[in-house]
Amino acid sequence: MDDEKAAHDSGLNNVATRRRALMLGAIGASAIVSVRPALAQSAASVLNCEIPVPGPHGTGMNIDAYGQLVPRDTPGSFPTSGVKFTGEQVKAAMQGRSLPGTSYDESQAYVNYIRRLQSGQSGFTCYASLQITR
Amino acid sequence: MVLLIQPLDAMTAIYHRRSGITHIVSEPVPQILHRMGGETLTSDEIVERLRVDFDFEEIDARSLITERMDEMAALGLLVRQHV
Amino acid sequence: MYEFRVQVGPAAFRIGSAWKRPVNELAELYREYPTPDIADYSVRLEATSLIRRFIRPSVAINGDYILPDAAPLPLAQALLAAEMGMNLQMALGWRRHLLLHASAVEKDGKALIMTGASGSGKSTLSAMLGCKGWRFMGDEFVLLDLLTGAVVPFPRLISLKNTSIGAMQATALDGRFGPLLRDTPKGEIRHLVPARDAIRAMTQPAQPALLLFPSFGFESAVREIAPSEIFIRLTQASTNYVALGEAGFKTLTRFINTVPARAIDYRKGEEAEALVNQLWDDLS
Repeated sequence: MDDEKAAHDSGLNNVATRRRALMLGAIGASAIVSVRPALAQSAASVLNCEIPVPGPHGTGMNIDAYGQLVPRDTPGSFPTSGVKFTGEQVKAAMQGRSLPGTSYDESQAYVNYIRRLQSGQSGFTCYASLQITR
Repeated sequence: MVLLIQPLDAMTAIYHRRSGITHIVSEPVPQILHRMGGETLTSDEIVERLRVDFDFEEIDARSLITERMDEMAALGLLVRQHV
Repeated sequence: MYEFRVQVGPAAFRIGSAWKRPVNELAELYREYPTPDIADYSVRLEATSLIRRFIRPSVAINGDYILPDAAPLPLAQALLAAEMGMNLQMALGWRRHLLLHASAVEKDGKALIMTGASGSGKSTLSAMLGCKGWRFMGDEFVLLDLLTGAVVPFPRLISLKNTSIGAMQATALDGRFGPLLRDTPKGEIRHLVPARDAIRAMTQPAQPALLLFPSFGFESAVREIAPSEIFIRLTQASTNYVALGEAGFKTLTRFINTVPARAIDYRKGEEAEALVNQLWDDLS
């Protein structure tokens, strides 16, 4: 029923208008990331966002050195607990420091996991905004 | 047109002509913009329009949507009018 | 002041230098490139002080666009200073195309674009593919036409670093290399002159057909990437996206809507080449 109205709004034709769940986000969690010039300074507010390792889709799994989710008993893989890291901590880890509470290898594995996050997965917006505020 | 809107996947890219800034937004921002259709509405009215098409269970839906709209207004994607 | 001028793709540069040697080096390496009458940009290699023209000579990069607080380089690396100066003019001043920090090669009129952070291998991969049947279009900047979305060539000297130098010396057996520069801010650097066909075709654009995000040092793999992630990464890979405003937004969204993209992981050049060929064949 809203499809005709949708057709009139230029550029919004692909936004789903059929009945489904809408994610409203959470209090204090931004839904907007603004593109800044690549050479500009970073914005402090973004660094308060959080990235869980792993996200809910990875509960009960381990992470291998390349950041992929693997079964718990996979040799050489690292256990996870769903611990959340702030954008600031992840940014520091991407620049060489280890994530708090992790060894160097664990930190590398976690950072690789974060790098592989896809849109829709928990923490992706936070990671994406880190890219913007480099 | 004030905004150029390009859906990508779960996120949408929006170019705001007046500021020249590109924003990448997630739900429910594009849906709020769509349902407003250029009109001036209160947050209650927007919540009701969204309820026509979508399910959301949050008890504090109005606070969440108001917070999103505050964020959009701060960036110039919406203009707040005082009655 | 000694002077050197060179046309690279759509951009004409003039390099002024307080010393003769860098101008000679540039003239030798760029000898097959056209010489423009009028320059778009000026780069000046200057002495940081009168003494530094002669004693432990030190090159400051100056020009139409500069980065304040940039550290000067020793005269032995003046060639590097000139290349960095040209990069800077493009990155800060070019407005005629959307600029991406990326490399590109062409086959059958279609362009493969590779982008990523330093160390991802985009530069070396473009050099390698340029020796294996592809036409080299550029290793530092990809220029996208604002109206047609076509990739416009910008084939400057290829900047090889550290282990890539040995790898390319083994691959490009007929290659013309510049001097080996040691102890630069990025380690060892050696420049490779693009193949003759790449230089001759510097005014021939190509339609972008595939975008890759290579990662060097991981087990061979191909991964999909979400459009929103591609969009964000490309805005950060562009030095003039914001400055171009609406034209930038339209060019980038057209690009994302029409060009398939993948992330590829690899540990050796041959692996990357195999993945590239596989993905390129899958397009048809």
